[in-house]
Amino acid sequence: MKREHQESVAGGGGYPAAAGMMSSGKGKMVGMEDEDGGVDELLAALGYKVRSSDMADVAQKLEQLEMAMGSSATQDDAFLSHLASDTVHYNPSDLSTWLESMLSELNTPPPPLPSSPIPNHQNNQFELPPPPAAPVPAPILDPAECSTVTTVDFPTPRRQSEYDLKPILAAPDRVVYGSEPPAEVNARDRKRMRTSSSSSSSSRGGGIGACVGGMGSAMPAATEASSTAAGAATGALPVVVVDSQEAGIRLVHTLMACAEAVQQENLKAADVLVKQISMLAASQGGAMRKVAGYFAEALARRIYRVHPQQDCSLDSAFSDILEMHFYESCPYLKFAHFTANQAILEAFAGCRRVHVIDFGMKQGMQWPALMQALALRPGGPPSLRLTGIGPPQTDNTDALQQVGWKLAQLAETIHVDFQYRGYVANSLADLEPCMLEAEAGGNGNGGADEEPEVVAVNSVFELHRLLARPGALEKVLGTVRAVRPRIVTVVEQEANHNAGSFLERFTEALHYYSTMFDSLEGGGTAGAAAAEGAVGASGGQQDQVMSEVYLGRQICNVVPCEGTERTERHETLGQWRERMTRAGFEPVHLGSNAFKQASMLLALFAGGDGYRVEEKEGCLTLGWHTRPLIATSAWRVPAAGGALPSASR
Amino acid sequence: MAGSNEVNANECKMVVPLNTWVLISNFKLAYNMLRRPDGTFDRHLAEFLDRKVPANVFPVNGVISFDLLIDRVTNLLARIYRPSPPTPSDSQRPSLHADLQSPPSPDPFPVIIFFHGGSFAHSSSNSAIYDSLCRRFVSLCGAVVISVNYRRSPEHRYPSAYDDGWTALKWASSEPWLHSGKDAKLRVFLSGDSSGGNIAHHVAVRAAESGIEVSGNILLNPMFGGNQRTESEKRLDGKYFVTVQDRYWYWKAFLPEGADRDHPACNPFGPNGMKLEELPFTKSLVIVAGLDLTQDWQLAYAEGLKKAGHDVKLVHREQATVGFYFLPNTDHFYEVMEEIKNFVSSNC
Repeated sequence: MKREHQESVAGGGGYPAAAGMMSSGKGKMVGMEDEDGGVDELLAALGYKVRSSDMADVAQKLEQLEMAMGSSATQDDAFLSHLASDTVHYNPSDLSTWLESMLSELNTPPPPLPSSPIPNHQNNQFELPPPPAAPVPAPILDPAECSTVTTVDFPTPRRQSEYDLKPILAAPDRVVYGSEPPAEVNARDRKRMRTSSSSSSSSRGGGIGACVGGMGSAMPAATEASSTAAGAATGALPVVVVDSQEAGIRLVHTLMACAEAVQQENLKAADVLVKQISMLAASQGGAMRKVAGYFAEALARRIYRVHPQQDCSLDSAFSDILEMHFYESCPYLKFAHFTANQAILEAFAGCRRVHVIDFGMKQGMQWPALMQALALRPGGPPSLRLTGIGPPQTDNTDALQQVGWKLAQLAETIHVDFQYRGYVANSLADLEPCMLEAEAGGNGNGGADEEPEVVAVNSVFELHRLLARPGALEKVLGTVRAVRPRIVTVVEQEANHNAGSFLERFTEALHYYSTMFDSLEGGGTAGAAAAEGAVGASGGQQDQVMSEVYLGRQICNVVPCEGTERTERHETLGQWRERMTRAGFEPVHLGSNAFKQASMLLALFAGGDGYRVEEKEGCLTLGWHTRPLIATSAWRVPAAGGALPSASR
Repeated sequence: MAGSNEVNANECKMVVPLNTWVLISNFKLAYNMLRRPDGTFDRHLAEFLDRKVPANVFPVNGVISFDLLIDRVTNLLARIYRPSPPTPSDSQRPSLHADLQSPPSPDPFPVIIFFHGGSFAHSSSNSAIYDSLCRRFVSLCGAVVISVNYRRSPEHRYPSAYDDGWTALKWASSEPWLHSGKDAKLRVFLSGDSSGGNIAHHVAVRAAESGIEVSGNILLNPMFGGNQRTESEKRLDGKYFVTVQDRYWYWKAFLPEGADRDHPACNPFGPNGMKLEELPFTKSLVIVAGLDLTQDWQLAYAEGLKKAGHDVKLVHREQATVGFYFLPNTDHFYEVMEEIKNFVSSNC
C-alpha cells in the first residue's frame, strides 16, 4: 500500500539535530528551488528534472516506450537494439524530452547499415575521425633569429586501437619553412590568403601525407532535446585525494596557512611560510612537489609584489609552444577540439557554405580534423571559410598568416574549397561584426541565389580572459550574436577561480591544479611514451615538463594577480551557462555519439585510465578520476524572434 | 501480451509513489538497452546515461565528501563521506586535506564501508542515487561512509569486486583516523544494496577468515540466486520492475565463464557453499523487499546464517519493491533507515 510520507525537520527518525540540518532527502544539494517551476525535488536530487505536473505524462511515456521495446525485454528486439546502437541520446536529465525522442524513433525506420569499413562503429552520424596523430606542426621559432630555416617533423602515428580508427596523417613527412618568399604561389592562392596584416607570407609547402580515414554514414540528425536553463552554479568543490602521505598533507597545510597569512596581509608570517613550503616541497615527489613549487612561486609573487607578473614580451609565441606540448602530453586539448568539432560538424549538416571563426587560432591544431571530416562528408565538402583571431606578435613573424597557409595547403590536398583570414587583435572585444561577416559580393559569384554562409564561432579557453575587463564579455557575446552563428562552441576550464576571496580562490586553484598535475603524472605521457617507443620517450618527458610550465604560468596568474592583470578567470559550467543564457543563447546539446567517441579517443591517446568523460545536462566534461577539469558546451541563437538578451529568464 | 502489460503497470503503480515508479521504470528501460544478447554491455551508453554528482568538500546538510585513491595499482577509488569537520575558530578556510582525514568525533564512531548496487554491472560510487544514500547514512549514524568504486562486470568478473572490497577493508584498517574509542578500534560495518549486499557478505567472510573484526553487516535487498527457479521468481517475474531473465544475464556476466548459479558467489548456502559454522562471522541486518522476485533467495540466505549459528535480524517489508531506499517518500524508507540506525548504534 502506497503512502506518501512528509518529512519533518524534527526528524521522525531521530536525525541528529546539527545546526542548519534537515533530513537531507529533500535534495537541496543541487540548489533546485521553486524557480524551476515545480520540479520534483526528490528526483532532482538524483539528477532528473521532471516537473511534478508532468509526472503522470512522463509515466505514460515510459509505459509506451516499454510496450514498444517488447514486454519481456528480450534484448534481441529490433527496436531495442536500434535505440541502443543507432540512436543518439541527449541530456538524460530531461526525462520527458529523452523519452519523447526515443518514442519518435518508433516512427523512423532504422537506417541501412553504412558501407563503412570500421567495425563496431556503425551508424553513428557525423563521426569525426580521431584527432590527427600529430597536430599541424608549427615552426618552432627562435625569437632572436626568426629568419633561420626551421624544420618540423610529423611524428609517426600512434598505435591503432582495437576499434581500428585510422589516424589522419598516415605518412610522416618533413616540411621545410624558410624566410624566402614562396617559390610558387599561384594567383588563386594569393587571393584566398587575404589577411588583415601586411606582412608577407613566408612559407613554402611540402606535401602533407594523404589522409586516410573511415567515416560513418550520414544520418538524419537526431532531435535535440531542449533543457530548462540551469540555475546558479552549485558551488561544489570536488576533491580527489591521491596522495595521503603525511608529508603531502603537511605541505598542503603549509600552503593554506601561507595563503591565509597573505589574505590577512600578515606578510611577515607569509614570508616565513613560503620558505617553509620550498623546503617541504623538496622532500616530496611527483606531482605534489611540482604543484607546491608553482604555488609557492605564485605566493612569493604576491608577497613581494612582483610586477609585471609574467614576462609578457615573449608571451604569445612562447605560449603557443607550451600549449603544443600540453596538447601532446595529455588529452584535454584534444578532447576540447574533438567535442567542439563534433558539434560544429553536426551544425554544418547539409550546408554548402560554412564559416568558422576561431577566437584563438594559435597553431590551428583544431582545424585539420574538421577539414578532413568535411572532406569526407557524404555529398562532398562545403566551401569552408576560416577566420582566425590571434594576438599581436612581438617578433617579425606572422604566425597567424603562416597557420593559414598550412591549412590552405591541407585543404588543397583534400579538395576542400578554402579561404582563410587572420585578424590580429589585442582583445576579442576589439572585434566588430562587420569584420567577421561575409563580404559583399562573396567570392566572385555573389548574387541572390548563392547559399547563405553558415557560421560557427569557436572559443577554446578564450572567453574567461574577457572577464578581466568589465563589459568585455558582453561586447564579445553581442558581436557573436550579431553574426548569427548556427553554433557557438565554448570550451573552458571547469573551475571556480573567479569568485570569492583570495583564500577561496587559492584553495580552489590548489585542488584544481593538483588534480591536473596528477593526471600529467599518471596519465598521458607514460602511455604515450610507451606507444611511441624509445625514440618518443624523451619527447614525452619534454612534453610533460613543458606542460607543467604551461600550467605553472596559469597558476602564477590565477593566484597573485588582480584586476586587469588577472586574465585566468576560470568559471564553472554552471556559471558559463548562466552568462550565455543571459546573453540570449540557448544550449545545443552534445549527445551520446560525441560522448562515446570522446571516451574512445581517451583510450587511444591517454596512457592512464584515470581520464573520465561525463555528460552534464547536454555538455561534456573531461576530468581526472571523478574531478571534471574542462567542459565543452555548445550554443546557438534562438531561431524565432531574435529576442534581446534580458536580465530576467 | 499487451493486455498483461497494462495489468502489470497498474499493479506496480499501486504500490509505489509515482515519482518512485518513474525513477525505477526509467532505470529498467535504460538498462534494457545496455544488456546485449551476446553478453556484452554498452558501457559507453551506460556511463552517458548514469547521473553522477561530484564530491564536495563544502558542507551540504552537515556532510562533506571527497574522493580518494585507495589503491594506485588497480586505480581503486572510493568516495568518503563524513560529518563536516569543524572549522577552527580563528580561520575561515574550508576543509583542508588535514581536516578531511581527521576523526569526526572524539567518541567512538562507526565506519560504514558501502558497496553500491547495480547487479555488478551498473552504477558507480559517484552515481547520484548512491551519493544521496551515503550522505543519509552519515547523518543517520554519525558515521564515516566509504563508498567503494569496485570493478564491474562484464569487463571484470568474479572475484574482482570482492577483491576490491577486501582492499577497501584493509585500507580502512590501516587508517589511524578511522579508529576510535579508548581501544582505538575500527568499528566497521559492511553494507550494500543488491550486488553490493552480495559483496558485503563475501568480504565479511574473508574478514572472518582473516581475523579482521567487523561490527556488523547491513544488507539491503542483497543479490543472491541459484539454479533453481523459486516460487517468488515465478510469481513475481516481470511484475515489479525486475525479470528473471535480466537476473540471469547479470549472473552470467559476473560469474566465471561456464559457471552456473550454484557457484558459491551467487548461492553461498547452496550445494557449493562454504560452511560458516566455525567462522567468527559478524552479525547481520538483512532487509528484504516482499515484491523483489529474488526474495526467496534472500530469505534462504538469512536462514542459512541462522542455521550456521550467526546473529541475523531479518526485516521483511512485504509491500516494498526494489529501490525503495532511493527516495525518502514511503514508510518503508523511514522505518528501514531507523532499523539501520539502531543496528549500527547498538553494535558500534
